[in-house]
Amino acid sequence: MTNTTRVNETEILQKNEIMMAKNTHLSSIFTEKIIQMSNVWTSYDSKNFALEEINLSIDRGTNYAIVGESGSGKSTLLKLMNGMMHFSKGTIKIDYVVPNMNDKKFKKMMHTIGYIPQNLGLIKNITVLENTLIGALPRLSKIQSLFKRFPEHEIQEAKRILKLVVLSGKEDRKVYTLSGGEKRRVAIARALMQKPTILLADEIVSELDHVTAHEIMDLIADAQKQMNLTAIMVHHDMKLALEYANRVAVIKKGRKILEIGVEGETIVDFQTGDVSTEEIMEMYADDSKK
Amino acid sequence: MTPKNNIIIGIIVALLVVASYNVDANPIEFIEGLPNLAIIVEEMLLVEPKYVPTAIWAMFETIQMAFIGTIVGFAIALPLSMLAARNLNSKFVYAPIRALLAAIRTFPSILWAILFVIMVGLGPFAGVLAIIMYTIGFITKLQYETIETIDSDPMDAVNSIGVSKSQLICYVVIPESASHLLGQLLYMFDYNIRQTSILGLVGAGGIGFYIINYIKFFEYGKAAVFMLVVLVTVLIIDWISVKIRDKYIIKSQHGMKVISK
Repeated sequence: MTNTTRVNETEILQKNEIMMAKNTHLSSIFTEKIIQMSNVWTSYDSKNFALEEINLSIDRGTNYAIVGESGSGKSTLLKLMNGMMHFSKGTIKIDYVVPNMNDKKFKKMMHTIGYIPQNLGLIKNITVLENTLIGALPRLSKIQSLFKRFPEHEIQEAKRILKLVVLSGKEDRKVYTLSGGEKRRVAIARALMQKPTILLADEIVSELDHVTAHEIMDLIADAQKQMNLTAIMVHHDMKLALEYANRVAVIKKGRKILEIGVEGETIVDFQTGDVSTEEIMEMYADDSKK
Repeated sequence: MTPKNNIIIGIIVALLVVASYNVDANPIEFIEGLPNLAIIVEEMLLVEPKYVPTAIWAMFETIQMAFIGTIVGFAIALPLSMLAARNLNSKFVYAPIRALLAAIRTFPSILWAILFVIMVGLGPFAGVLAIIMYTIGFITKLQYETIETIDSDPMDAVNSIGVSKSQLICYVVIPESASHLLGQLLYMFDYNIRQTSILGLVGAGGIGFYIINYIKFFEYGKAAVFMLVVLVTVLIIDWISVKIRDKYIIKSQHGMKVISK
C-alpha cells in the first residue's frame, strides 16, 4: 500500500514537472527574444561612433519600429542586425547567434533574414519574377544557380508571393518600368521568397504618398501575421510607426532615447533614456506638423 | 573662374609649351608641309575601282579577325575583371591580377602582333592573337571600373541573403553592369576593326597589309580604294552600334524609350 502511494506521488510530481516545463516552454515561445543587443557601440571611422550604448530586446513575432531623424543611426542599427555592419563593443544575439558573416551558422541564418535597403536594392534590368526568385537562391544547388535553372515549385512559389503583393500579371515586366509603389512590392516579394523569420526594412514607405504608404504597410502587416514574421522597420514618420508597430524605439544622435510599447491605440509602456519630457513633447509636435 | 582654376590652366599651358619645344612641334613646318599633302590627296583621287572586290574581301578578313579577337578577348576579360574588382575581392586577389593586366596593357597591339608573327608566322592568326591580348588588357580595365561603380544597394540586399560569390556575380554584378558591358563590347569591336586594319603593317594579315604595301610603292590611288572601304565599314559598324545602344543600353539605363527623329 505504502509502495503504491509512493508510486502515485512520484507520478504526480513527474506530471507536475512536465506541466511546468511545458508552461515555461510556451511562455518562452510567446516572449522569446529574437534580437538582443546589449551596450552596443559601432563606428564607421575611428573617431566618431555611429551608435552608442544601444540596448534592445525584440520579441519574436512583433512589429518593431525604429524612428529617428536622418543620420541618427537607424540604418546602421538595421545593418547590425543582419551582419552587414560590425560592432565595436557590446553583445548582439540574433536568434541566439552572434551576427558575423564569416560564421557558417550565421551565414545560414542570413538565408531567412529578409532585408530591404532604403533604395530597395532591386536589379533594374531584370524582370519582376527574376528579382523575386533571388530570394530563393540559398535553396538552389550550385549547378542550378549557375545555369539559372529554378525548380518549378520555386517559380510557382514566387508567383504565389507576387499575387500576395498584388503584382500578378506583372511577372515579366522589367523593374525599371514599374512605379515606386510597385518596386517596393517587388522588394517585399523578394524578401518573402526567402521564407524569412525576420524582415528588416529601411524606410520602405518614405517618398510614397499617404495611400500607397498605408497599402505597403498593410501588406507587410498581413504577411507578418501570416508568416509569423518579426518585422523590424525603420521609419521617418513617428505617426506611421505608432500606427503599425507593437514597439517603437526612437534613435537620436546614435543613442536610443525612448522606447514605447503600443497595444492598439494605447501606449502601454514608456521607457526614456537621455531625453527630457520637453524633448518628447517637441518630437510629437514636430510629427503632428507633417 | 577662381584663382585656383587660373593657376591650373596656367600650369597646363606652360607644360604644353615646354613639351612642344622638347618634341620639335613646329606649326610653321606643318604649314610648309601642306603642299605635300595636296600631292598625296591628288594622287589618291585617282581611285582605281577594279581593286574594290579585293578591298572588300580584305576588309571581310579584317572584320573576322576583329570579331574573333573581340569575342575571345571579352570572354577571357570578364572573369579577370571580376577578380580585379575591389568591391568583390580582397587585396590579395585583386592586386596581383591588376598588376598582370597592367603588364598586358603596356604593349600596344602592334607590338603584340610583332611578337605573335615571330611565334606563329605571318598571317591573320598572329593578328587575331594580338587583338585578343590587346582586348584583354584594355577591356578588363573598363569592366572592373564599371563593376566597382555598381550601386551598392542591390549588392548589399542580395549579399545579406547569404548567397555565394558566384551567385552574387551571376545575379547582381552581371545584370547590373550588363548595359555598360555591352557598350564596352561594341566600342571594343569598333576599335578593334581600326586596330586590325593597321596590323597588316607587320604582316599580321588584314586590309592593312595591302594599304602599307601600296603606300610603300607610292601607289596612293590603289591605297585610297582600300582606305575608302575601311571608312565605309567603320561608318556602317558605327551606325549599327548606335542602333544597338539605343535599343538595349540607353533604354535599360534610363528606363525610357529613345524616340528616333
